[in-house]
Amino acid sequence: MGTYSQYAWLVPLFPLLGFIIVLAAGRLVQRIGGPINVLLSIASFVVAALIGWERLTPGIENYVWNDWTWLKIGDFNITLGFEINNLNALMLLIVTLVSMLVQLYSIGYMAEDDRKHVFFSYIALFTFSMLGVVMSENLIELYIFWELVGVCSFLLVGFWYEKLEAKKAAQKAFLVTRVGDTGLLAGILLLAWNMPGHALDFNSIFNAINAGDLSSGVITTAAILIFIGAVGKSGQFPLHTWLPDAMEGPTPISALIHAATMVAAGVYLVARSFDLFVASPTAMLTVAIIGGFTAIFAATIGLAQYDIKRILAYSTVSQLGYMMMGLGVSTTFAAGMFHLYTHAFFKALLFLGAGSVIHAVHTQDIREMGGLSKHMKITTWTFAIGTLALSGVPPFAGFWSKDLILLEAYHHQPVLFVVALVAAFFTALYMSRLFFLVFTGKARKPAHPHESPAVMTIPLIILAILSVVAGFVNLPGSEKFSEWLTGVAPEEATSYVPMIASTIVALLGISIGAVFYWRPKFSAENVKKTFLPVFTVLNNKYYIDELYQKTIQVPYDLLAAFIDTFDKYVVQGAVSLIQYIVNFVGNITAKTQNGQLQNYALVLVFGLIILAAVVIWMGGGAEVWAISGK
Amino acid sequence: MTINMLTAFLTVSAILFSIGMFGALTKRNMIVLLLSIELMLNAVNLNLVAFSKYGMTPSLHGQMFTLFSIAIAAAEAAVGIAILLAFYRQRVTVNADEMNELREP
Amino acid sequence: MSTGQVVAFFILSFLAFSGAIMMIAFHRVVHMVVSMATTFLSLAGLYILLEAEFVAVVQVMVYAGAISILMIFGIMMTKHHDGEEEKPTTWKSWFTFGSVAAFLFLVYVSIRNTKFPEQTQQYVSENNVLEIGQMMFNQYAIPFEIISVLLTVAFVGAILIARREEAETE
Repeated sequence: MGTYSQYAWLVPLFPLLGFIIVLAAGRLVQRIGGPINVLLSIASFVVAALIGWERLTPGIENYVWNDWTWLKIGDFNITLGFEINNLNALMLLIVTLVSMLVQLYSIGYMAEDDRKHVFFSYIALFTFSMLGVVMSENLIELYIFWELVGVCSFLLVGFWYEKLEAKKAAQKAFLVTRVGDTGLLAGILLLAWNMPGHALDFNSIFNAINAGDLSSGVITTAAILIFIGAVGKSGQFPLHTWLPDAMEGPTPISALIHAATMVAAGVYLVARSFDLFVASPTAMLTVAIIGGFTAIFAATIGLAQYDIKRILAYSTVSQLGYMMMGLGVSTTFAAGMFHLYTHAFFKALLFLGAGSVIHAVHTQDIREMGGLSKHMKITTWTFAIGTLALSGVPPFAGFWSKDLILLEAYHHQPVLFVVALVAAFFTALYMSRLFFLVFTGKARKPAHPHESPAVMTIPLIILAILSVVAGFVNLPGSEKFSEWLTGVAPEEATSYVPMIASTIVALLGISIGAVFYWRPKFSAENVKKTFLPVFTVLNNKYYIDELYQKTIQVPYDLLAAFIDTFDKYVVQGAVSLIQYIVNFVGNITAKTQNGQLQNYALVLVFGLIILAAVVIWMGGGAEVWAISGK
Repeated sequence: MTINMLTAFLTVSAILFSIGMFGALTKRNMIVLLLSIELMLNAVNLNLVAFSKYGMTPSLHGQMFTLFSIAIAAAEAAVGIAILLAFYRQRVTVNADEMNELREP
Repeated sequence: MSTGQVVAFFILSFLAFSGAIMMIAFHRVVHMVVSMATTFLSLAGLYILLEAEFVAVVQVMVYAGAISILMIFGIMMTKHHDGEEEKPTTWKSWFTFGSVAAFLFLVYVSIRNTKFPEQTQQYVSENNVLEIGQMMFNQYAIPFEIISVLLTVAFVGAILIARREEAETE
């Protein structure tokens, strides 16, 4: 038994502590709220690192603690607890590390903001919730934290709530992910219904699957429902629309939540319940196809966007699709999780770099930038590393993880292999376009950019280093990482076909980008004019938002109008009728209270007469006399 | 005479009482109201005295009761007239239907 | 009961009724008080028929004397617009009349239907005033004292209520 794993509860405790402190102290810690949270994050990271180091011991057992009974319904207990295995130890490490770096970065980025203490308390709450998702030992607990990260995402996307777009984006993020969450909840309920003893912890579920306690129909349905939850959270098609809009939030948030951690929670969820998916080929195929389609779909949209953060957002959607595909095509979750792990670093790096650029030029439109490499050396170099890593150029981290996915696809789903290659080409193309437009050439708009302060560049440098070296843990041929993560040695033989193919498409994409945007031999405008209809469709994101507007919002508005009418006339009518009746009766009876004593006396006499009549009719009067007269 | 005197007296009393009640319920003038109430009291007194003579066990107790009742009627009349005067001073009217303060405004 | 007494009973009852009905029917308040005085006096006559001489005398003194005079003082101290303020006969008056008639009918029916038991003894009054006096100061001493207190309180209260308030006159 491990010793550090027992104290894994400390990892989420530190951010929770930070959240409570900063929330309670409010404006008192406006200046030092950030540093406090960074220190707590470091503490949290240290514990996570110790756990991760301990997990490296060969043959170590998973640690499960679930003694806290949260709800007791009859003889059915819902317990809360945590589980430490290699998968979530890795996630703990990623989340704490990225969270720590992003918070450090935010100290610089948010320095001017008046509500930065609120910002830091939200980030701390998010980190706590995310760690909760990662450590959750059963599905109910996971669902609770799952919703909590959704709330934090909502709060942070809408952090600048004075901006109408931010407000709308926050609502959209919350509502669209909610569609997926409903699927997840339905999946959890389905499992709870069918599981022996209604147990919902992962180990019981896996045991039940292995023991054949669940029918294949239930497994497929539950897996697909859980995948719907992952689709919502990870911005997979068709629920991807919220993620680009979520870029209205502060850039560190985009890096932390919408690139590295929360959106990866969907991938993590699929990986965590991988046994469920493996048991159902249909579900695996669904995951693979949705992932592959999202990868190429989002990559093409990324080609035609002008907002630096939106390009990165579509890139994130595309890469998440890659991860999903990696999970779907292979027999272990190693490929997808490996890409998640490397992607967390270089995508956070790219977002933070974009934040640094935005911080310098105060615009997000890449057409207004240019020539920034002269002024922002560190940002340029780190961004270049991120670009190369994302494009999949060896030996950067992205290459190795992408290669692993391509390898799996090459062996299992050749069609998706081609799709992934095309997506990789587009990825390289839009990233080089972005990089060359922003950092090379002449400044297209008069501005005085300056390098960001050290507190912002240090995280960039750390992440850049990680983007270079992170891939080396899992080199083809000696896949230590995969083996450590999944406990089984990879079965596929290393093949050089995907490796060479991906290198070629990456370099091809970058070259084409360079030809058009770095040393323009051809005008990008001409190409744009030639393919104007295509460009328009891409620039408008395939009109998915408009489609949703038409197909969902319009019927919904009609339904709402109908219900409104119903409420106004039927419900309100019924209420008004009751009110009218009461009023009517009240008015009539109120007239009897007119202060006229004689009227009261008259009523009194009338009552007396009725009473007397009743008594006499029953022969009471004579009886009374007869008895008393005896 | 075969006439039952008790029944006769009780009937007279009932008629007087009813007339008094009618007056008390319909008249507007407060003095007439007081008079009507006195009439009702008198009808009751007649009852008491009639029973004191023709009841099952005739005795003077009925008459004693009547005396007390008369005393109380006198007190009531005095207080009633006093209230009438006080009211008149306030509202310059003796109409009972204008004494309608006891209601929702 | 002798024929003379029966005749006297009828005459006196008739007088009492007419006084009461006139009280209802008259328009002028003074007339009403006078007709009521007639009723009171007739009732005193009926008391004598019932061999309650002392009660009859008290009736004359208190009702026909004190209360009627009190009423007349009340009339004199307030203004009356006789005649012009008669209410039109409304459904309410008819309703009241109907109710009272029903009441009378009920009471009459119950009086007629009641079988009064036979008298167990005949009471013959020797000296009504003497007996009442003895009774009042022996058996009824405490109620008598209490009624005295009640009267005192009532009259003091009446004076207080009717007294013209100083602040008002200033």
